[in-house]
Amino acid sequence: MNFAERLADIRARMQEEKLDLILGVHDGGHFIEKPNPVMVLSGFKSLGPTAALLHADGAIDLIVTPHWETDRAADACPDARVVGAHDVVDGALAKIKTSAVVGTTGLRGLPYDLASRLAAALPSALSADKLVFDAARTKTLDEITNARAAAGIAERGFERLLKIARPDMTEDELAVELKWYMKTLGAEDNFLLLCASPHNPAVQPSTGRRLQAGDIILAEITPSYRGQLTQICRTAVIGKPSNELASKYRLVVHSMDEGIAAARPGVAMSEVCRAINAVLEAEGYGEYCHPPHIRRRGHGLGFGSVRPGDVALDNTTVLEPDMLFMIHPNQYLPETGYLLCGEPVLLTERGAEPLTQEKAALGTIGIQD
Amino acid sequence: MLTSQPTLLVGPSDWDAGIMPKQEFHRRIEALWRACPAATCAIVYGDRVNHAELAYFTNLVPKLEAAVAILSASDEHTIYVGGGPNMIGAARPLTWIWELIPLRGGQAIGRRAVESKAGTTAVPILVGGGYMSTALRQAIVEGTGGSAPRDETAKVWTLMRRATDYDGLAMYNAGVALGVAIDAIITACKKGAGVTDAILGGERAAYDNGAQDVRTLFSLNGGRTLQPFSAPTDRRLDPLQVYVAVRRFNYWAEGFYITSSRPQPALNKARELLRLALAAIKPGVDPASVEKLVVAAMKPYRCHPVTERALVSRIGIALEEPPCANASAALEPGEFCSVRVGITDEAHNHAIVSAMIRVRDEGLDVFWSGVPKPIKGSPP
Repeated sequence: MNFAERLADIRARMQEEKLDLILGVHDGGHFIEKPNPVMVLSGFKSLGPTAALLHADGAIDLIVTPHWETDRAADACPDARVVGAHDVVDGALAKIKTSAVVGTTGLRGLPYDLASRLAAALPSALSADKLVFDAARTKTLDEITNARAAAGIAERGFERLLKIARPDMTEDELAVELKWYMKTLGAEDNFLLLCASPHNPAVQPSTGRRLQAGDIILAEITPSYRGQLTQICRTAVIGKPSNELASKYRLVVHSMDEGIAAARPGVAMSEVCRAINAVLEAEGYGEYCHPPHIRRRGHGLGFGSVRPGDVALDNTTVLEPDMLFMIHPNQYLPETGYLLCGEPVLLTERGAEPLTQEKAALGTIGIQD
Repeated sequence: MLTSQPTLLVGPSDWDAGIMPKQEFHRRIEALWRACPAATCAIVYGDRVNHAELAYFTNLVPKLEAAVAILSASDEHTIYVGGGPNMIGAARPLTWIWELIPLRGGQAIGRRAVESKAGTTAVPILVGGGYMSTALRQAIVEGTGGSAPRDETAKVWTLMRRATDYDGLAMYNAGVALGVAIDAIITACKKGAGVTDAILGGERAAYDNGAQDVRTLFSLNGGRTLQPFSAPTDRRLDPLQVYVAVRRFNYWAEGFYITSSRPQPALNKARELLRLALAAIKPGVDPASVEKLVVAAMKPYRCHPVTERALVSRIGIALEEPPCANASAALEPGEFCSVRVGITDEAHNHAIVSAMIRVRDEGLDVFWSGVPKPIKGSPP
């Protein structure tokens, strides 16, 4: 699928829903779990609040703030009529005829100041979230190409981590260095969760804590390449890993392998989660396979649509070729603490294809005596 | 300036009592109660993008999930931290407030805010309510019993304008890191580096000098438009127009600069106009009048779209602090501002330069400037 085909799909759905117009709005606060309808409808990753209006005839208006972003927006979306605005709500409303049947998308992710003004101005608008994000449940060829590039950057980021992490460095210093390094490789953004401890309760954002020998470093490395996020989940230990840690990590990797094997077209996402859980439950970790210990075993990868959603027991989404998502067991085990292990996969006719060159393995960081 | 907002903040943000002691936060909270005398508590919201008010009172800059502080007139402060119980440990070093609770919906926050103390009726106020999601805001209001707390965010902005020496120290540190970043970009360009190497070299230099966050924009068309980093390019550009914002100890400094090996008429004119603007700034002056002065002297150029209506902008914990840009409020002693002059002939000549200033009783300090020679009338 390409971008034009996705838009055609959205327009066909608009016709079914009898919508004259879809208004997608995003505030520019890009977040891994916040779907971005403006990117889905236009391909433009904005700096500020931006609105994309898709008309039934296929015309697209793109209202951008700050107003000086018009050139960049026009480059990203050459078929759109781009308007720079000082206020995105005023700019968008000026493009909407009062008689139009409007569907809105992205409002739930907006701050109250923006959302409340739009809701007041368009009281009879229908929600088009499902329509838009369902149409973007599979990735375009460009998005897949970018995801592959991002996966390569992530792997090189982990290699860098193994090379530079050392005792006495702070988590923040390590995270900043890795983010900067991956930017030199082309990552314009990065959801980089990184923390360390001899026994991690979970993966958390970095702090000023200093690394120590014996620490287990957890890293969710998630570079974005040309607006497409891809993630790897990795674990490394400073010093020689204990036999128990090595053994438990192999167990978590095995559970991930089972999840990847279960992910095939026509299968519900919940089955992927079940396959991962089965391995861990068989080893006596059943109580750790459910909340509050674990909420999900993976997720979709934005910034556009986050479909097909979480790898979770309650996700009944049926998998299709060209869906892109994470499979990450990311398990807390009482003997070792939290362990990160996960790969980005692309669903193909044959099954789930990991986008990484090397599967997760426990990394080790040598320390000098 | 609006720049790319990262999906996750990663830089050093731990609370440092040596930079911002607890008594300074107590002073700020006391000032809030004086500004809102009927209030018994404040519900203060912040997230990755909008958190200036939360950081002002608590030092907490949420790196991942949103947080909501309940500041109490009886000094029993609490922060609700998003992301579940496992995020408490990561949030603790970021703030001086000890009581951290997992954020589980807004109703509990609303209920906590209206808890009566010793038979008194609680009167909560809201700060940063406009940044919340509609769902969270509605849940908080429901928790308070139905009537929406008064939103007093604008009063907090007024408090934030009155910078203390603690704010000043943090701002000057940010300014130093900004200067180092710009110097690194200049050096890289002189050595023939491509755009990406030069920009990332500047970012790297800022991080090496303790920066918590660095954001950059640059121009690939001689300064006509600016863009964020999207993909590496080894193109060598002369002139290269850059914008760099550096955050340190939670405070931002920003600068526009043009590096070029050749004389640039537009750059010279922009620098002249920047000097004009700086000479006009003093307490009591309306930023709009400074812009008027600059625009009147701008011919044959016109205002660059990037700096249009944004010549004098308040800056501090937020990269652009309300009242934004050329709001009518007159400048006050102690305020920190970014002064930007951008010009264009709408053809091939464009330039944006800026200075970081602090308004003083008798004029201003310039602690970073895109003008290479010292500015007349300003202290060294």
